[in-house]
Amino acid sequence: MNMRRRSILSIMDDALRWTGMPARVAAQMSGDSSFDREHPPLRWIPIWPIAFSSALFIFCLTWPPMLDGISPATRIGVMVSFMCSAVAMVPGIYMNGPLGKPSLEDDEREAALRKDSYLFCLWLLVVLNGVGQPLLLFMSHWQSWQIAHSVLVAGSTFNLNVTLLACLPTLYASWRLRQLPKE
Amino acid sequence: MNLYNRISVFRAERGLSRRQLAEAVGVNNQTIGYLERGDYKPSLELAMKIARHFGVPIEMLFSFERFEPIAMSFKQPGEDE
Repeated sequence: MNMRRRSILSIMDDALRWTGMPARVAAQMSGDSSFDREHPPLRWIPIWPIAFSSALFIFCLTWPPMLDGISPATRIGVMVSFMCSAVAMVPGIYMNGPLGKPSLEDDEREAALRKDSYLFCLWLLVVLNGVGQPLLLFMSHWQSWQIAHSVLVAGSTFNLNVTLLACLPTLYASWRLRQLPKE
Repeated sequence: MNLYNRISVFRAERGLSRRQLAEAVGVNNQTIGYLERGDYKPSLELAMKIARHFGVPIEMLFSFERFEPIAMSFKQPGEDE
């Protein structure tokens, strides 16, 4: 039993070493600058989840009548899986982008860039939601949306907001930074 | 208003890398690169730290007017005439 437990623990240790994380943590704690994690500008990758979420939102908004035969539970299930796949890309993009490192490590330029990026994102979200929400209310009344349709539109709107909130700052910061030549 | 600087000239003259200067003044080495290229205007605190590190007055490093080329500084008055 003891041997078995030790072997499981040693397998787990080996698996952890295989990820490279212990070596990275040790290198960072030793202050070796060659192990500094790069946070390069990501100019194109964040556009994908934003485009995907926008397309999903437009699809839900202009639901084709030929799909009305699908049951509401199936509709919602399919849409939730699409939304999850869009949102799943977001943490990786944020962590690897220029804003991915801890804000406590920012110098004055990086802090200013982080502030500008979030303010731009906040401004854009406020404008989009301020204009979009009354429009959606008007459309739901005018077109007499069913409950299932309203749920889909509300869900895709939430998904688009989450994606924009997570990807827009990275996108803004990436386009603000011009690549520096190697020294 | 543009803010010109001669950080790269002083850095080259002292044989410092971007990373060495960045560590001395407590910023990321990319920030030194953006400063040298004029993409970022430093705070007064950072400008004074850089000037203190090079041991020169701040106006030798930063100016609102373009710095004249170093070669022009060594020309004697009346040399052009």
